[in-house]
Amino acid sequence: MIDENIVYTDVLIIGAGPAGLSTAIHLADLLKKKGERQRILVIEKGSAVGAHILSGAVVRSGIFKELLPEVNFEDIPFDSPVKKDGLLFLLGKSMAIKSPLHPPYMSNKRAYIASLGLLCQFLASIAEEKGVEIYPGFAVNEVLYNSEGKIYGAKTIDTGINHHGEKMENFQVGTRIEAKLTIFAEGVKGSLTQTVIDKFDLQKGKNPQIYSLGCKEVWEIPSSRIKQGEVYHTMGYPLNFREFGGGFIYGLKNNRVAVGLVVGLDTADPTFDVYSAFQVWKTHPAIAKILKGGKMIAFGAKTLPEGGYYSFPKPFVDNALIVGDGAGFVAMPALKGIHHAIKSGMLAAETALVAFSKNDFSEQTLQIYQEKIDASSIYKEFYPVRNFRQAFAKGLIKGAFHFGTQLITGGAGFAGKLKVHSDAEATKKMKDFKGKRFKERFKNKLEFDKELTFDKMTAVFYSGTHHDENQVCHLKVNNLNTFQSINIEQYDAPCQYFCPADVYEIHTEHDGTKKLRIHFENCVHCKTCSIKAVGDGITWNVPNGDNGPEYENM
Amino acid sequence: MTIISLIKQVPLPNEMRMGEDGLMDRTKAKSIINVDCQYGLEAGLQLRKHYPEARMIVCSMGPPSFQASLKKAISMGYDEAYLLSDKKLGGSDTFATGLALATLLKHLEFTKEAKAPFVIFSGRQTSDGDTAHVPSQVAENLDVPQATFVEKVTSGEHGNIIAKRIIEGGFQMLELPTPCVVSCTPTGIALRKPSLVGAIKARNATVTVLGIDDIGLGTEKIGLNGSPTIVSNVVDIVSERPPVLMSEGTSEKEKVNSLIQNMKKERTVLNKQAAKEKIKTDTFDFQVVDTRGDNKHILTWAEVVNGKIIRPSLELFTPARHLANQLGNDTKVKTVLIGKEITALSDTLFEYGADEVICVEDERLEEYLVLPFAQIFAQIVKKEKPEIALFAATTAGRELAPRLAVKTGSGITADCTGLEIDEYVDKKNKQIIRPILQSLRPTYGESKLATILGFEYPQISTARAGTFEIPARMEDKKGVLSTFEPQLDASAFRAKILQTLRGEGGLQNLFDAEVIVAGGRGTVTDQLGLVKELAKALSSSGINAEWACSRAVVDEGIAEYARQIGQTGKTVRPKIYIAIGISGAIQHLVGIKESDTIIAINHNSKAPIFKNADFGIVGEYQDIVPELIEQVKNGTFQIAKK
Repeated sequence: MIDENIVYTDVLIIGAGPAGLSTAIHLADLLKKKGERQRILVIEKGSAVGAHILSGAVVRSGIFKELLPEVNFEDIPFDSPVKKDGLLFLLGKSMAIKSPLHPPYMSNKRAYIASLGLLCQFLASIAEEKGVEIYPGFAVNEVLYNSEGKIYGAKTIDTGINHHGEKMENFQVGTRIEAKLTIFAEGVKGSLTQTVIDKFDLQKGKNPQIYSLGCKEVWEIPSSRIKQGEVYHTMGYPLNFREFGGGFIYGLKNNRVAVGLVVGLDTADPTFDVYSAFQVWKTHPAIAKILKGGKMIAFGAKTLPEGGYYSFPKPFVDNALIVGDGAGFVAMPALKGIHHAIKSGMLAAETALVAFSKNDFSEQTLQIYQEKIDASSIYKEFYPVRNFRQAFAKGLIKGAFHFGTQLITGGAGFAGKLKVHSDAEATKKMKDFKGKRFKERFKNKLEFDKELTFDKMTAVFYSGTHHDENQVCHLKVNNLNTFQSINIEQYDAPCQYFCPADVYEIHTEHDGTKKLRIHFENCVHCKTCSIKAVGDGITWNVPNGDNGPEYENM
Repeated sequence: MTIISLIKQVPLPNEMRMGEDGLMDRTKAKSIINVDCQYGLEAGLQLRKHYPEARMIVCSMGPPSFQASLKKAISMGYDEAYLLSDKKLGGSDTFATGLALATLLKHLEFTKEAKAPFVIFSGRQTSDGDTAHVPSQVAENLDVPQATFVEKVTSGEHGNIIAKRIIEGGFQMLELPTPCVVSCTPTGIALRKPSLVGAIKARNATVTVLGIDDIGLGTEKIGLNGSPTIVSNVVDIVSERPPVLMSEGTSEKEKVNSLIQNMKKERTVLNKQAAKEKIKTDTFDFQVVDTRGDNKHILTWAEVVNGKIIRPSLELFTPARHLANQLGNDTKVKTVLIGKEITALSDTLFEYGADEVICVEDERLEEYLVLPFAQIFAQIVKKEKPEIALFAATTAGRELAPRLAVKTGSGITADCTGLEIDEYVDKKNKQIIRPILQSLRPTYGESKLATILGFEYPQISTARAGTFEIPARMEDKKGVLSTFEPQLDASAFRAKILQTLRGEGGLQNLFDAEVIVAGGRGTVTDQLGLVKELAKALSSSGINAEWACSRAVVDEGIAEYARQIGQTGKTVRPKIYIAIGISGAIQHLVGIKESDTIIAINHNSKAPIFKNADFGIVGEYQDIVPELIEQVKNGTFQIAKK
């Protein structure tokens, strides 16, 4: 029976996002040109391709022509070309100034507004046509290592386990997927990618990766509020000069608009709450006037890596490559990662082709992936801005100054390589944080009216999130003792604030002690807890397949 | 061994798709394998543990889109999939569906005479039909034994099947020979997740799609025209309960205070409109026809459990008498009494309203068994030619009646809450059929009320327990007593009862209590300690309070059956029903919906109980209930005197 539970494949791609699907498509194309065929198997934890995909998104379209030379450009389901592109400075609670200048690194010329979820569904259908097998609804939670400690695939999660971890009558052992080459395309802070980075020390000599959390809603609004193709980014309110981030407003077809706020997770205030900041942002008249009378139809939240060049982990080990967000390929000034994800997938495919021709998947062969990255548009776009985000970790004014000098010096700025703390380390203890706490700062703004602003539980509902009741909680507090003594007692448990889905609750017991309760069923898979939790932290493991949000065209 | 599973694909049920705000329907296009059918699929996979080499087949009937669910079944471990799909089947009622599925199975050479053994699994009922008829009707059409309301299946000796069947107040272990039909309740083992190897197999598998011509099924008895019953009207059920008032606050103290404040607010009671709403239609100048022929009188079944007539069977006398009065013309209520030494019970039946009692005495019939009882009823119906046959919608009634309906060819309406004599304007044939029985039944998760008409005699309906009041007892009223000697061959006793475990019916106080505090699966952590404590605190403050529980708690062995509320337990109507840690499955809700006020406490804000409650608190019961007990003790939590 056990033998039946193994699947053999040539390439296993973990994650059907833009990076994973591009790897699959490009490899299938390259093999076809050589008249060869290899089994390419993509697995995806979301219930369908796109269900766990969330992005703004304004996409540079050129890369699609490169990936899909034979596809009619008009057939690609972009929402609309960017027709108008503006930057708004939100000053205080009610003022807004349109920026006369548009920073060159943020320009959206020849870009398209799109639902990345929809684009991924499109890519998946193309991949399937090329013979790639895609299986959504399956989660892998274990990397397979051979006797030499080298990767040779992954195993899907065992199911039919109750929350105590005991096997139930419908228990099923997971399927072992054995592969010559494994591509980690799990996206930001991938749960298996992280174990591989840790095991092989792939972050060695690099800055720690740092992240932002983005919250996004899609609204149906009365017509003529914003035109399809209009793109606005905002800076300022409700963030202060120490907080890195900004908002976006994208006009979509059918009187829809995508709005969101992205905030760096290196905030010092342990009680900072990106989700609530997003709600506050919507109350700014410049935003509220667009949404008033409309109806929120979808919500989602996701983190993105923004450490840039100096935070890239080494993206290859024996028998495996890391592509896309998992490798940190999000270019910060422009907040864009999709074209890099696709590019990295294509480079991984080219690397795989060489490996197949030599039938050698060792590091020696796979290192050409790094060479290809360094010779590609990825390097070209990242290297000049290699210190951008680190500079802004010092605050907006210093950051702008640093970034200005970087523009002049070709990215080096004054210091060569600017160092950065991890986002968890950037959090201050309650007693050390001198500024106004989040709730204090926005004290009249946090009563949500359920028309323009919503509580987290309502938002979770609009993300379509569900989790099987019977499974082990996928969120693991790494050290319960230090969680109590450090996270709760010294930091007031930041997870209860930063989690956009109300997963973490600190409950005051009758005897006055504070206890953590985890409502994993709300989790929207944004991974913030695995990034921002202080002390010994929280590990985000993957829950059962097809669990999590059900984003539709996010 | 061949294991066959019958499944239906249904839209995601209502209670699972409404938003917090009750407005959004984001999943309108979504379809799932009907929940009960999922349990049938899993029961089949569980049985395979005893027959590792079993051939695994999954079948369905419906549009081509149903292939998605069949493929899903393959990804969970089934091997072959068949879909009966034909436009001519559109509009089929349960009778026609049972016939069509049975014909499909016969076409696949699964007949009573087949040499190789097979077991057919199915769900108890579907969320978009709620009848529970089809499994019985498939079994009757194939002439094989059946077990319905089954929670667990294992293999027995001599290739037999052991099924644990849920009954009122307990369970029954049945031993069935193969071939047989087993229909499963959603209290058994939940359907496994697909495996990746299974999904790869499903990707490459093909579903065999067959039409009615392929399986040699004629059109006479299928589709809208061939079905013996039709749905003549569907109206929305407007709940008389105003929308739930949820407690606000962050601490349990605030939440409980908020509940107390909410309970003081004036609540507008909405009127239940659906049942009364009647649209005046045009009058038609058609000929009135009476299609009854020589069918006359109303037949009911008095179900005997532990030597007593059960309450729902006595409730039947209310609609039976009402219908007899409406029909006039000396229509009689004739009640069938089957069992061992039961003749003495006939006095009770006369006193509650039976005009005649037909007794069938046989010591083999002490416990109800579907096969002999269906045979007896078929023989009595043949002799008596009743116009209407009524059964209580108990676990027995709901499998016996559809099986009988196949034998009489007359179709059936399940779980009715209203029974009236009316007319049917048959515009197509330009005639008015009068009189005709209108059976009203809730469907689609209690959100719609459908009116069903049957055109073949007897018109058979089952009536929901707890809906009709027991009529007043008329001391010393007498009637005509007769006996009936059925022809029963040994094959009627193919299925054997190995064990029947039934809790005491007792605890009459649950029918009288002003407040019932009920605990569900969510409260088993402390063995219902807090639930009992709250009931006790209420009693101490002078309120007639009692504690009760949901089926799940009884199944865990924490409370006795007598305390179980719901479809297979008691139907109660207290002033206040406090549901703690009860998710609010339909089976539980039907037992509490007549309560004046329902308070729900649950940690899951999406639990369906909140849509059926007046007041709600989201929170852990371990936090909320102690606070509530506190408030009862200090007198802040009180019951408003009406």
